[in-house]
Amino acid sequence: MDTHETAEATTTPTEEVDWETKLRYFLNSDFVRSSPFWGIPFLVMGVAVYGGMGFNIAISLTDARGLTPPDYSPGNLDLEMYTQVLGSNAFLQATQNNLVLLVTFTTICLVLGLFLAVLIDQGIRYDDKVQTIYLLPMSLSFVVTAQLWLWMFNNNNGLLNIIVTAFGFQPVDWIGNPSIALGSIIFALIWQFSGYTMVVYLAGLRSLPDDQFEAARVDGASTAKTYLRIIIPQLKESSVSAAVVLMVFALKAFTFLYALTGRYRPPNGTDILATLMVRQAFKFGKWAYAATIATYLMVLALGVIAPYLYYQYRQGSL
Amino acid sequence: MAHLALEHVTKVFEDGEDEIVAVDDVSVEIRDGEFLVLVGPSGCGKSTTLRMIAGLETITDGEIRLGETVLNDVRTQDRDIAMVFQSYALYPHLTARRNMSFGLEESTDLADTDIDERVTEVASMMGISDLLDRKPGQLSGGQQQRVALGRAIVRDPEVFLMDEPLSNLDAKLRAEMRTELQQLQEQLGVTTVYVTHDQTEAMTMADRIAVMNDGRLQQVGPPLELYHAPENLFVAEFIGEPSMNFLSGRREGSSFVTDRIEYPFTETIADAVGDAEDVILGVRPEDVEILAAGDGSDPAREFEMTATVVEPMGNENVVHLEFPGETTGTEDLVAITEGLREIEENESVTVHLPEETIHVFDTATGEALHTRQLELDAQALRL
Amino acid sequence: MGAINIENLTKRFGETTAVDDLSLDIADSEFLVLVGPSGCGKSTTLRCLAGLETPTAGDIYIAGDHMNYRVPQNRDIAMVFQDYALYPHMTVRANMRFGLEEEEGYTKAEREARVEEIAETLGISELLDRKPDELSGGQQQRVALGRAIVRDPEVFLMDEPLSNLDAKLRAEMRTELQQLQHRFDVTTVYVTHNQTEAMTMSDRVAVMNDGRLQQVGPPLELYHAPENRFVAGFIGEPMMNFVEGRNEGDRFVGTYVEYPFDATIRDAVDGADDVVLGVRPEDVAVDTADGVDESDLGDYEFVMHVSVIEPHGDQNVVHLNHPGDTSESDLLHALTGGTDIFEQGSEVVVTIDPSHVHVFDGESGDALHNRRIGPEAEVTNV
Repeated sequence: MDTHETAEATTTPTEEVDWETKLRYFLNSDFVRSSPFWGIPFLVMGVAVYGGMGFNIAISLTDARGLTPPDYSPGNLDLEMYTQVLGSNAFLQATQNNLVLLVTFTTICLVLGLFLAVLIDQGIRYDDKVQTIYLLPMSLSFVVTAQLWLWMFNNNNGLLNIIVTAFGFQPVDWIGNPSIALGSIIFALIWQFSGYTMVVYLAGLRSLPDDQFEAARVDGASTAKTYLRIIIPQLKESSVSAAVVLMVFALKAFTFLYALTGRYRPPNGTDILATLMVRQAFKFGKWAYAATIATYLMVLALGVIAPYLYYQYRQGSL
Repeated sequence: MAHLALEHVTKVFEDGEDEIVAVDDVSVEIRDGEFLVLVGPSGCGKSTTLRMIAGLETITDGEIRLGETVLNDVRTQDRDIAMVFQSYALYPHLTARRNMSFGLEESTDLADTDIDERVTEVASMMGISDLLDRKPGQLSGGQQQRVALGRAIVRDPEVFLMDEPLSNLDAKLRAEMRTELQQLQEQLGVTTVYVTHDQTEAMTMADRIAVMNDGRLQQVGPPLELYHAPENLFVAEFIGEPSMNFLSGRREGSSFVTDRIEYPFTETIADAVGDAEDVILGVRPEDVEILAAGDGSDPAREFEMTATVVEPMGNENVVHLEFPGETTGTEDLVAITEGLREIEENESVTVHLPEETIHVFDTATGEALHTRQLELDAQALRL
Repeated sequence: MGAINIENLTKRFGETTAVDDLSLDIADSEFLVLVGPSGCGKSTTLRCLAGLETPTAGDIYIAGDHMNYRVPQNRDIAMVFQDYALYPHMTVRANMRFGLEEEEGYTKAEREARVEEIAETLGISELLDRKPDELSGGQQQRVALGRAIVRDPEVFLMDEPLSNLDAKLRAEMRTELQQLQHRFDVTTVYVTHNQTEAMTMSDRVAVMNDGRLQQVGPPLELYHAPENRFVAGFIGEPMMNFVEGRNEGDRFVGTYVEYPFDATIRDAVDGADDVVLGVRPEDVAVDTADGVDESDLGDYEFVMHVSVIEPHGDQNVVHLNHPGDTSESDLLHALTGGTDIFEQGSEVVVTIDPSHVHVFDGESGDALHNRRIGPEAEVTNV
């Protein structure tokens, strides 16, 4: 009651408060009370992710290699490694392979996933078992996928060559031939990832209300036209988010290639930036050189992510 | 000629072993240019009926005809109908203009310039010309509603189907759109089937109302006919807000008797009731008269009651009344009095139930045995 | 002792001011309804009372204690949410008991007894062992109320609790809620956008618009003596008719009508140029124009044209236009008895009695003159 009376006595709308009340007010505020929930992830994220990125960039500016620890003295920091990397044929070849992988893999995955999703949505609208079958490859580890496709691609007794020879053709060296090795690998990756894009599209399709289909039918549109003009344009969000995941994966598809041979050197004609980086770092001990490749890789990944973030920002979701 | 006829239409949904009869043997004829409102509580089969007319549900049994054509096996795309959905179902990625032109592009061979002209014309009629280049997400609920209507109108179909199109609008806007929609329909003269659960919409907009319950058609007729001459208990209760009052009791001689009251029937009513035993007396709240002390002139039909709750609405008061000695806590009658008439809670009042205003229903079947007398002629009821 | 005092409450979200300098005293055991269109700040006010939002400026007192710095748990309030916010994984009994478990001074047996007692009053005893999703909307509503009542708080806060129910059930629950509040005698602040709920349930209604309090008073005072045009238009369904025009000293002049002012009105509107004439639809008397000569018309009578008639059964809403008016919008709406039917397109004679007329200032919207009411009909809450 005391506070009440003093408050009535003052003429200002807000009462005068002592520092204790102000402190209590501050401690009660949403900012302070919610801090354990956002503060800890914020800290961990800051150190582990952004700290690591900074460390990598710092190394790339030195000339560190072999067993000598990197020298961070200001005179030793320069962009020499960056020009050196850009001038290397291996790097340019890896970048080219990487871009081919990125574009074909992402495009085919999206188209195939969409096609499967529409089929499932049309034919068996309520059967979830089929989805599981398509999604299963996604749950396998890359090592298992790599082993599985090694068998499939095997020159002598692989399933693919059994089929090819059955039709009277010469057996194909799927992985050994540099001009088709990349294609074989993209094929295996599509096998693994098209299930994922299908699920993303299916979720997008399921979230569209039935009345969109019905309104289009009442408007006189055929099923094909309905999908083409009404449904697929509304799956833009799904396409963008699936594409970003696929592209980022394509940039750093290291595990799969490494598991394919069990060595730092992937099959000829399939070297990509991630494998090149690991090989330079852990096989040759060229730390600064590898860190530079890693930085270029990050810039490429940013090139994929940034437009996506900008798109999200435009949509108002950020 | 867009004369729409439903003949013995039945819809059965299979749910595993069970069969659910959603629509049960419904027959109704809708004249060319008529505004028919299908009304009923949720789950009564009204939406399923509309969806069968649209071709979005198959017809289990019976026949739907438009003019001379049997629609049963005609695809939705080939029926000359336009539908307005409860959620509007606008295409979110297309502008209002493209939303409106889509149907014409898909269902006709019109040239783009003709389509554009039609869209512009309808848009100006609906007052949405400045909104044509916006997407649905940038429009308010009322504006989306107009675009959805425009999309239907631009097609110039034989039949409009509307599925609770006003239920997502707030009360004031709904009242406005009610009038507007009705005027539009009159102006265009297109046969319309309108589904709603809101009896006010049904009353104010319809040429005729079809009341459904439990998959069955209860009564079809002009609004005031349903209001003043309901054929059964369900229609009597469903149409009108607040609901008609019902008193359950017995017929004894030519009187209606409950534990609390005895109400003498006039000769006409007694004849109509005949020898039914258990009957229900019905009277509309606005027909229950609350008399000032000593004003009565019909003592046999006047009763002492207590006002339990008075709800002021401004223009009128809703008075909840109880017979004395009642302990159930539920009121016996609800009356509507004039706005400035003051009645205190817990006040004792004299209540008059005028003989010409009462309805009598058979308890067992729910059928109306007698409906209120009206000084109006049948023509006036049809407005 | 659950009186609430709100003093100069302001709440801003960034640049937008949701509540603007609101002062309101709510008496102990009063049923106050906060009503207004969506976005008017009524829910924000309620959430400030509950402690779910922090006021930007101003003070809130409940039972004389200053509340600004108290977390919701310590305010001795109970809130009923629009979507009920029942815990879906708990039985009704556990839902109702949950709030009590946080409170000290109850033994386990006492808690059970209290829950059963309240369930009994609400008529939900047989539902106590069901879970929320096994209940109908109306039953969930009752459980949500029970959960609030069982804690025996100083104040009930209700945020549109009836808006998810269908029309018939809503009308029933309206009466029931009002009776319950009388029985438990707890100060209640009830937020709604529905003016019917506001009119029928409240002891007093507070109308808000655009963050500002427009008027506080008993329902019928707001209906018959609105302080401004907003309140006049918001309270009442169908809405009050407004006709805009000029004050020419002894009469009102609009585009289509002229309406003479009598002495009382003349004095009240003196000095205003642009004025708005207001009249409730039920005060617009309509009669057939058969055999009436224009020259026979009195000062307060006009010939009009019926553009639409909406039958409701118990009454009809008649939309009226001036014969010379070609615009789409109606000039007046009138309410007539259910069996007084006028044909669409016909001519009618409309009478507006000068004692029923409100006059508002055209610019500020303030009421300059309100309708006169006979001495026998006092404007109070019934």
